[in-house]
Amino acid sequence: MSEMLFTAAIARTIAEEMRRDPSVFVMGEDVGVIGGIYGASKGLLEEFGRERIRQTPISEAGFVGAGLGAACTGMRPIVELMYMDFTFVAMDQILNQVAKTRYVFGGKAKIPLVIRGQQGVGGGNAATHSQSVESLFLNIPGLKIAVPSTAADAVGLLRTAIRDDNPVLFFEHKKLYKGGKWEVPDDPEYMIPFGKADIKRQGTDVTVVATQFYVGEALKAAEELAKEGISVEVVDPRTLYPLDIDTICESVKKTGHLVTVHEACAVGGWGSEIESQVMDRVFRYMDAAPIRVGAKQCPLPFNPNLEKAVVPQIPDIVAACKRVLSK
Amino acid sequence: MITKERALWIYEKMLEIRQFEETAWDLFCANKIHGSVHLYLGEEAVAASVCSFMTDEDYITSTHRGHGHCVAKGGDLGKTLAEMMGRDTGYCRGRSGSMHIADFSKGNLGANAIVGGGIPIATGAALSQKMQGKKDNFTVAFFGDGACSQGVTHESMNLAALWKLPIIFCIENNGYAISLPLEDNIPTDNITDRAAGYGMPSFSVDGNDVEAICEAMEQAVAHVTSGQGPVMLECKTGRWMGHWTGDPELYRTRQEVEELKAREPIQRFRARMLETGIADEETICAIEAKVTKAMADALDFAMNSPEPDPAHVTDDVFYEG
Amino acid sequence: MAKKVIMPKQGLQMTEGTIMQWLVAEGGTVEKGQPLFEMETDKLTITMDAEASGTLLKIVRPVGDTVPITELIAVIGEPGEDISALLGDAAPAAAAPAESAPAAPAEAPAAAPVAERAPGERIFISPRARMIAEEKGIDYSKIVGTGNDGSIIERDILAYEASQPAVTPLAANVAKANGIDLAGIAGSGANGKITTADLPVSAPAAAEAPAAPAAAETPAQMGRGTRTERMSGMRRAISNNMLASKNTNAQTNHRMSVDMTAAIALRSQYKALGIKVSYNDIIVRACAKALQDMPIINASVDGNNIVYHDYVNVGTAVSVPGGLIVPVIRDADIIGLSGIAAKSTELIEKARDGKLTDSDYHGGTFTVSSLGMFDLDDFVAIINPPESAILAVGKIAKTPVVVTNEDGEDEIAIKSMCNLCLSYDHRIIDGAEAAKFLQKLKNYLQNPVLLI
Repeated sequence: MSEMLFTAAIARTIAEEMRRDPSVFVMGEDVGVIGGIYGASKGLLEEFGRERIRQTPISEAGFVGAGLGAACTGMRPIVELMYMDFTFVAMDQILNQVAKTRYVFGGKAKIPLVIRGQQGVGGGNAATHSQSVESLFLNIPGLKIAVPSTAADAVGLLRTAIRDDNPVLFFEHKKLYKGGKWEVPDDPEYMIPFGKADIKRQGTDVTVVATQFYVGEALKAAEELAKEGISVEVVDPRTLYPLDIDTICESVKKTGHLVTVHEACAVGGWGSEIESQVMDRVFRYMDAAPIRVGAKQCPLPFNPNLEKAVVPQIPDIVAACKRVLSK
Repeated sequence: MITKERALWIYEKMLEIRQFEETAWDLFCANKIHGSVHLYLGEEAVAASVCSFMTDEDYITSTHRGHGHCVAKGGDLGKTLAEMMGRDTGYCRGRSGSMHIADFSKGNLGANAIVGGGIPIATGAALSQKMQGKKDNFTVAFFGDGACSQGVTHESMNLAALWKLPIIFCIENNGYAISLPLEDNIPTDNITDRAAGYGMPSFSVDGNDVEAICEAMEQAVAHVTSGQGPVMLECKTGRWMGHWTGDPELYRTRQEVEELKAREPIQRFRARMLETGIADEETICAIEAKVTKAMADALDFAMNSPEPDPAHVTDDVFYEG
Repeated sequence: MAKKVIMPKQGLQMTEGTIMQWLVAEGGTVEKGQPLFEMETDKLTITMDAEASGTLLKIVRPVGDTVPITELIAVIGEPGEDISALLGDAAPAAAAPAESAPAAPAEAPAAAPVAERAPGERIFISPRARMIAEEKGIDYSKIVGTGNDGSIIERDILAYEASQPAVTPLAANVAKANGIDLAGIAGSGANGKITTADLPVSAPAAAEAPAAPAAAETPAQMGRGTRTERMSGMRRAISNNMLASKNTNAQTNHRMSVDMTAAIALRSQYKALGIKVSYNDIIVRACAKALQDMPIINASVDGNNIVYHDYVNVGTAVSVPGGLIVPVIRDADIIGLSGIAAKSTELIEKARDGKLTDSDYHGGTFTVSSLGMFDLDDFVAIINPPESAILAVGKIAKTPVVVTNEDGEDEIAIKSMCNLCLSYDHRIIDGAEAAKFLQKLKNYLQNPVLLI
């Protein structure tokens, strides 16, 4: 184990994979000299040079599409988006091309493409650079979606993503970048399979499903609730597609209560999807309708206090747990 | 003058495309093909001539008007037709239909129903060739005058020029972006005026003239495979049919289409071959008989192919290893 | 090495037993095989012998406790031995001495509030709460919901369950069979558990319960009041059985007079041969033959099914101190009159000695009850479920009857007559069938040669 920043863990994992496999390369904005604006590609240019660390013009559709073209012709590109909000600029390439190529061509192509970057509030960047956008992609078949909540999980999931022969959208959270140093396993083969949830805290009264930054917030809420005798189980799915619905359902069968927490808007978010799947499967074990905790249906404002008012806070999670328990 | 071998190959491919598209039209009218088809009739010289310079190691990306590219890139007539009829034996097992046919084994990275959608993909394929050190190989992105107004076209050309990728941006200028005439689409007289902005060489040729296309291609291929970066190749041509089957064509006159047909590429090239002595009547007739037979077999194959099994409809969304 | 004494299981149906008397005092010595305690089940009162020798170190469950089978009731060992490990198993009992048992119900959680719902009103209940209620067999129609929207949720079911006094399995079954609501019943068993002893005799009685205190308030007459005595296990079983019979069957009866003169002669013949045969044995034999002829009388009802028995097992009601027991003569249709006589002698002796085993009084398909010895002319018996018929036999009395003599003239003769009354379940036995059965019985008894 080593201690390092989240971004350093990402950069180290990419470097390890690039050393292992010459077909792995990085493409994206500002990945060169400055190593990405948050430093998640730091040091890569020095080691691998301009041929494999390709800093692009600000042309998200162009270089995401080029990533697809390279992926289906024998390379394993890691495309870095400066902000995952910028997926919107490349939406046709991601949704119409990347996601569908293998299927519409009758299963002939492999698409070993990773599109990664950070998202979320915490940068003071307002509406177009602070969104959590992972839920949108869940509605398009053909994309795997990873949402790590710790640097160790990020390392294991990123390695799996790079070695996967399918397109993976890899969402990091900028608040985790700023979360100090993390314990990270040093094994260059450390991998976490997709579709395997991690129970971050065991509990018996209510199941809280959260991802990314909000796993930590849910754990803090659980501490508070424990003081009141409420036992919270925090389940981190780690990938939204494929989704480990079995682990979530087993937890709900035990607790009878489900709360989903994410930074993205509650309306149409993945929390709704998980709640629906849980009700499909284990409705008879549920003691109350599940509750979504998510952002208000509102673009993210600039003012820090306004921003805080839009996205969920720990007291919101605490309140949701109590409400689902009719307490 | 082009070689005899290339000339006969191009003639055969043009005939295949012509007969294929006529067959497709017949099948559509007979309600044997559903959805819509975008016919390449009248533009055959472009795909056939360009692809005559390519091997299976060279890549193309294609467009919604993609049957011609697929056939010219070595696609099997029967599998292509079967795909258009939604059959299990089709190139994509009935999932793509007319607009998304791909054949990776022949270097065809797929038609693309999003206008301009394939251009960055071609750019990425050329990036692969460059990074993999395949110095003799290159990629052609086929697209039309309509795609020239897509942002991603600019992004791709810019990227390819910056990274000196081995790619030919082949613009099939048929004068209309669906119903939008060229003068309402492009603010300058020539699309190739844009090439200077990327510092790439360009050629603008009569897309119904096989010899003109081949002459430009020779130079273009030499340029892109020498590591000097991309080339823009505009082929001015025209489609005989509407944008799609069912297009009322209110945007152009019948006379315009008749004039277009007078510039028809296949008969023109046939006459040229006889005139220059590249091929005699007998050789040409043998090719025509061969193509007619091949097309009949393809039709037979497609018509007798099974429907795909809905039980497998969700297969292949992901590679399962 | 100290040994546990547990509540023993005596018979397949036994789930609990009540300790009636300790025959050895705590601290006294006991030999293996020596009678140690008396216990009562709902069928029997039995004296149990010690299974080990030593000192009775501890009586864990005092007289009056109703104890589930296999639970610890006492410990035998050497004086001074540490038996705390063995007692640990019986912690709940040790914590609740018998004296405090009656107070236990008062310690039970306060009764859950009862929901006022109009008939047919929709009950909102969470899926989980419904699932748990169904698993636990809890009727949630009167449970108040405390969920956000007033729905019944899991904790309401659990609170309701906790508010219900503990109940022994047997008592729960009896209550269910009789539709008795256990809420509000004070348990007199260990830890306030409701036992069968605590159940009102019938559901209607329970409904009338509020009236009872008023009666109790009536001034004693001339200083004489009432005395309340707890029903014995057997009494409760009889009580439940009889009530269940009356509540679930379509009972009615037919009567017929039978001339027993020939049967008396038959008995005399057997007696002359040194074989003791009672009138009851002859009647059982006649019944077995008639039941063979008419399987529907020998059948029973199971839900919507009629169960026909290939065998004929005839029970005979035997009066014992404190109640009644019905030992069963198995295969009465094939063991012959002398076989019936021998078996009935054995069973009656066992019954009076309290030595009947479980198998001796189960599996009957028909019952004969004779009360002639009490000078009874005739009477009506209640069917013993799950049987479908019972024959009540009055005394044999010399009676003037009109007979036709050989010359075809009517005259009055003295005959030994006996009145038979067949109670039958009209659900499966039609009146004519019951009449036919009596006719056949009469024929067998009046022509006893057919019985040999």
